[in-house]
Amino acid sequence: MEFGDASLLPENDAAWRLDYYQHDAQMDYYGTRLATCSSDRSVKIFDVRNGGQILIADLRGHEGPVWQVAWAHPMYGNILASCSYDRKVIIWKEENGTWEKTHEHTGHDSSVNSVCWAPHDYGLILACGSSDGAISLLTYTGEGQWEVKKINNAHTIGCNAVSWAPAVVPGSLIDQPSGQKPNYIKKFASGGCDNLIKLWKEEEDGQWKEEQKLEAHSDWVRDVAWAPSIGLPTSTIASCSQDGRVFIWTCDDTSGNTWSPKLLHKFNDVVWHVSWSITANILAVSGGDNKVTLWKESVDGQWVCISDVNKGQGSVSASVTEGQQNEQ
Amino acid sequence: MREVLIPGVNSKKKQMCFDWGPGEMLVCETSFNKKEESETKPGCPFIYIIRKDIDVYSQILRKLFNESHGIFVGLQRIEEELTGKSRKAQLVRVSKNYRSVIRACMEEMHQVAIAAKDPAIGRQFSSQVSILSAMELIWNLCEILFIEVAPAGALLLHLLDWVRLHVCEVDSLLADVLGSENPSKHDSFWKLVTILVLQGRLDEARQMLSKEADASPSSAGMCRILGDLMRTMPVLSPGNTQTLTELELKWQHWHEECERHLQDSTFASSPHLESLCKIMLGDEAALLEQKELLNNWYHFLVTRLLYSHPTVKPIDLHLYAQSSLDLFLGGESSPEPLDNILLAAFEFDIHQVIKECSIALSNWWFVAHLTDLLDHCKLLQSHNLYFGSNMREFLLLEYASGLFAHHSLWQLGVDYFDYCPELGRVSLELHIERIPLSTEQKALKVLRICEQRQMTEQVRSICKILAMNAVRNNRLGSALSWSIRAKDAAFATLVSDRFLKDYCERGSFSDLDLIDNLGPAMMLSDRLTFLGKYREFHRFYGEKRLTDAASLLLSLMTSQIAPRSFWVILLIDALPLLEEKEVVFSAEQTYELMRCLEDFASRRPVWREPGVQRIQEDVENTKLEMLRLALARNLGRAIIKEGSLEGS
Repeated sequence: MEFGDASLLPENDAAWRLDYYQHDAQMDYYGTRLATCSSDRSVKIFDVRNGGQILIADLRGHEGPVWQVAWAHPMYGNILASCSYDRKVIIWKEENGTWEKTHEHTGHDSSVNSVCWAPHDYGLILACGSSDGAISLLTYTGEGQWEVKKINNAHTIGCNAVSWAPAVVPGSLIDQPSGQKPNYIKKFASGGCDNLIKLWKEEEDGQWKEEQKLEAHSDWVRDVAWAPSIGLPTSTIASCSQDGRVFIWTCDDTSGNTWSPKLLHKFNDVVWHVSWSITANILAVSGGDNKVTLWKESVDGQWVCISDVNKGQGSVSASVTEGQQNEQ
Repeated sequence: MREVLIPGVNSKKKQMCFDWGPGEMLVCETSFNKKEESETKPGCPFIYIIRKDIDVYSQILRKLFNESHGIFVGLQRIEEELTGKSRKAQLVRVSKNYRSVIRACMEEMHQVAIAAKDPAIGRQFSSQVSILSAMELIWNLCEILFIEVAPAGALLLHLLDWVRLHVCEVDSLLADVLGSENPSKHDSFWKLVTILVLQGRLDEARQMLSKEADASPSSAGMCRILGDLMRTMPVLSPGNTQTLTELELKWQHWHEECERHLQDSTFASSPHLESLCKIMLGDEAALLEQKELLNNWYHFLVTRLLYSHPTVKPIDLHLYAQSSLDLFLGGESSPEPLDNILLAAFEFDIHQVIKECSIALSNWWFVAHLTDLLDHCKLLQSHNLYFGSNMREFLLLEYASGLFAHHSLWQLGVDYFDYCPELGRVSLELHIERIPLSTEQKALKVLRICEQRQMTEQVRSICKILAMNAVRNNRLGSALSWSIRAKDAAFATLVSDRFLKDYCERGSFSDLDLIDNLGPAMMLSDRLTFLGKYREFHRFYGEKRLTDAASLLLSLMTSQIAPRSFWVILLIDALPLLEEKEVVFSAEQTYELMRCLEDFASRRPVWREPGVQRIQEDVENTKLEMLRLALARNLGRAIIKEGSLEGS
């Protein structure tokens, strides 16, 4: 696979100038909108259809740098969650063409580092991981109301990342009669400053229980990503850490009990972010040394690096950047 | 491994964050160090979108994708019918179809390249043309070796065709020279004759020589002799019944005759003619002298084979190929990717061909379609690859995924996923939900595709999204029909509530057609049923079917499916019925109504906001009083009516 040469961006590729530090940027479900968040405490939303870059909304509400944004599934409308150093999680919603704050969650004592929406099949549920070590789960119950469940001391020192498992109905997926919800087993993974990855499962009484502890890292876990399901009985999780390692965890049996790690690579620096492509065939890893690398599992089970996306070393033609500026 | 440089300021403390889009990836500079005191001004303020498969956006290539899609689907469909002898012929035909599509695309792109006003764009298109040309070259060779499976003898003829197809200058040169006044005096005359000989086009070469013979009598004799040699060279013609051994024998004799002439210095006085004779003897040195005319090593290979091993066997090809490459490059340059691919083909190493092509080309189109075709030729299995036909599926999946990034080509991708038995379906499920539903038409298209494949989850999810959109844009009828299609009871309830609320406010229903024709879908949710039945009540009343209307109204009230907020309306709706001349409600029914009324009155919701609501409350109270009165009167009339009937 090859990427187009980014230094000769044809008019279909886009680059925008933003006068602030964006900490995170996320495309919506369809790739038509982009949400960014930054240290200037704002959350911005852009319309990026057809290579355009129109600022739709500049959302203010946080009192500190905003670390992450996450789009909910479009069936719930246009909803965006953001989390920040100010210990708050804000949920924004687009109503009649304008974006507004629809809910604010202040249940944490420390910076909230990560937010992740659950699979849409479960309803509208948001998991939030915080530096106070707790994970909170916000469930929308209707008419503007959100129910909160909190897992205290999920990770000592702090929780850095949360990622939901894809929705899989136990047994065969028979068409359920309308109105009857299938019995999903809700699970998610979290990574923390205790160097651990923990897997959480919702019990029948609605309480969340720690199901598994995955130990392999020797330093803070920075990110976890549960791979989308492609119909195979295996589950896969990617994790990355301050120790420079990226592990791929796989669980073969359907009971979900034995997870075995495989070292993808040991990088020379902290690895901050891992993410799966939609069909889970490519893993992107953002590491120190200013690179985003793409990895793919080859047919013999080995993980191979297929592409590097590298930051240039200052040798850019001025005409590219000027051209982009003129488009603003 | 390919590295993509993102233009940006060099900074040692910054990292890159990224996110996957449905078909692309975006990256931006960030700082993952979550400290409050982070800088507010970034080093590199840009966000970049990186798209793989940028080829998808090229106008002309789109035609390639569209037409090859048709060929692909056709091939999958006729698979069962491909049997016996005709199988090979049909597969060859499919291969030729693919190649003609590539050539058409090349031609078009070439025209655009020439016509381009901006030289940079012209160059871009020209380079695309050469990529396509290389693709066609490789495909053609694969067709000859793997699909046609030409045996010794025929093999050389195919290879000659192959080479001739890819050297176009000859014909224009031929026309040039022949068209001139004195062809044999033309500057390029000998160049032309040499090329013709190199390409094995000996008849035409002989024609040229006869012109030379006419023009300069001194060399006429030599020209005639050489011409005769050209004429008598034994060639395997298609349909010829002679065996390979016979051909070899004859060829050997002929070769010796040429050799004799050379020894006898027949052509000594004409260096040109002598050189041609040496070429026809397959003299390597003589051939290598013509490097410039040959232009590439595979031309050299084929010419060499023609004049020294015309009955070469397929399995021996690779030896000659390797040595030809080495001789031609002469240690001055190293092989390029194209050379390696062709070598791999000559070695019959299909796996290597596919692998090298995957690396060299920027789009999965080529390897996906070629591998699929080779799989149909049952070649991947026979090569004992342990992932055999999974390789086919792997490549098709990659290609189809790329198509989904495009706003209309995604429809082609659907068919490709359909023909991937293992992961096609689930890949389609994951991709199809990400298609932006920008128009109703597109949404319907996507839904139809999902419904055809029984992808109920996706149907449900898409309908829910559309219903949600419709509600937000106040298109309640649309929202309702989407929720019904999604079989989403909760949403149907929500929309029905909106309808009812609208009715309360405006006194009429929108989208009557829809509500009137709900049919069994009405059962989806209680609220929806209520909505449908309430409309039915209206219709009964409109059609003067008063007893039916009355019974229905009563059942709506007693069945508990009416929302609390609607009770007052239902009660008040009873008024006109009670004030009809004839008695509509029976005594029994009247008692029921009275009970409902008192039930309602005792549990009436307290209005929270004063002001307008007070007025409304007063109006309501008045109406309820009127109702009590009407009920009492009706009870009287009903009792009398029923009493009389019983009596008489």
